[in-house]
Amino acid sequence: MNFRLPIALALLFAPVLAWTGEQAEFSVITEGGNRLHISSDLSPLEINRMHSWRLRLTDADGAPVANARFEVQGGMPDHDHGLPTRPEVTDEVEPGVYLLQGLRFHMPGRWLIEFGIGLGEDADRASLEFEL
Amino acid sequence: MAVCLLPAAAVLIWLLAPAPLPERWSESEAALIASFSLSALPPLRPDPSNAAADDERAKMLGRQLFFDSRLSANGAVSCASCHRPELAFTDGLPIAVGMGPGRRHTPGLLGIAYSPWFYWDGRRDSQWAQALTPLETHFEQGAGRAAIVRLLATDPDYKDMYEEIFGALPDPARLPDSASPLGGDAGQEAWRMLDPGLKHELSAAFANAGKALAAYQRKLLPGKSRFDEYADAVARDRATRQGDMLSREEIAGLDLFIGEAQCVNCHNGPLFTNHEFHNTGILPVFGQLPSLGRFDGVRLAREDPFNCLGEFSDAAPGQCAELRFARDDNELAGAHKTPGLRNVTLTAPYMHTGQIATLGEVMRHYNEAPTAMLGHNEAKPLGLSNRQLRQLEAFLHTLKAAPP
Repeated sequence: MNFRLPIALALLFAPVLAWTGEQAEFSVITEGGNRLHISSDLSPLEINRMHSWRLRLTDADGAPVANARFEVQGGMPDHDHGLPTRPEVTDEVEPGVYLLQGLRFHMPGRWLIEFGIGLGEDADRASLEFEL
Repeated sequence: MAVCLLPAAAVLIWLLAPAPLPERWSESEAALIASFSLSALPPLRPDPSNAAADDERAKMLGRQLFFDSRLSANGAVSCASCHRPELAFTDGLPIAVGMGPGRRHTPGLLGIAYSPWFYWDGRRDSQWAQALTPLETHFEQGAGRAAIVRLLATDPDYKDMYEEIFGALPDPARLPDSASPLGGDAGQEAWRMLDPGLKHELSAAFANAGKALAAYQRKLLPGKSRFDEYADAVARDRATRQGDMLSREEIAGLDLFIGEAQCVNCHNGPLFTNHEFHNTGILPVFGQLPSLGRFDGVRLAREDPFNCLGEFSDAAPGQCAELRFARDDNELAGAHKTPGLRNVTLTAPYMHTGQIATLGEVMRHYNEAPTAMLGHNEAKPLGLSNRQLRQLEAFLHTLKAAPP
């Protein structure tokens, strides 16, 4: 059986695909080829609870990417509205690990989170989609 | 002839017959229904901004203050004048009337302590900061900061209760009769002339009055309704008919509520609200400009000296996540808070300025989802039949409980 097509499709959609089951752990590949691993301190995720995420950013070789700047936006595309809060990365708790505070999801359904990532002069992006 | 009529009769029966209910809820539907039960209501979290929030003595003081009309400039208006216990702490009016005509429809108080934001536009971030605002607002109670503290310091019962919880009150001999940063011209002028130290003492004692009021109000919770008995039964056994707990029409309404009508998107959890702000295309009162809603509310909450990050709050800044990470962009224009639906049949009229008189009209509004005058309506037209709208309304009647 030829596996090339499913593998190519999986790679194509990797940046927006990422739920690892009940536990609120996500992993996405950024447009620049880095990996963003996301773990929520509220797990499994539920609606109407304020919580934080830890963002671990590594390069293609798995080495931590330190001193990144994050801008986080998102919302529910099916309802034409954004996030109910304005989450912010408030700390780099260890090299390449960032604390994203101020997340709360207030409706069940499909959520899209977009990460703008500043790396020195360069910019990278990643997006995460999940169902609550 | 009879042969010709048969198909017509069949079509008629098909149109008019009750929509078939499933025998059993699916696993996910049953879990969703169970999540609405009061049995699923988690314990109320502490309010770190109010050290007296769960102090029984503060609750007793707050209860007396809540019903005391001396907390108004004309001695005739108490918190309970608009928040009437027998109407689920609402007043039956489109727009509240205190010392004068108000600006908004009186929201109910049962279970509202679970919300991170208060007022239809979320202009306050705690229940105690909210409780302070009507006391000073000229068209609500209009008493002013100095008058409230003077009452606490001169009424022997209040003085004893207050000082046991919060410590010494300012000496009433040092207090002006009337002074308030939000009062009329004379009150504001008197406030400007006060010594900064006394201003701070007055504001701190005033804040404590709000904390006592919140200690009482946060314990006001809705009672169990017929729906709760049904939801608890569904949690044990997924059969849709649970004896005669709910009628067929009420169950059909519940089916729509969690499904086709999409009510559950915002009206979720045991209090039937996500405590958030949504623009659902509610038209303004005739002749008025549409309310900016949450767009204004978040700015006002940030400016409020009694907010979670302010000097009268008992919280550390790290405990003020809602205020620190509050969103404030144009998308919030015209968005108002999702009200809970428990006892909704007691709280007519509806919406932030009481624009919609009856639940039936509310159902029709959401079925049509009209274009918003300001911002955009997040809701989409539903295309439900009149019968389905009546079923939804029938379901809402099951959320009524005896007054606490």
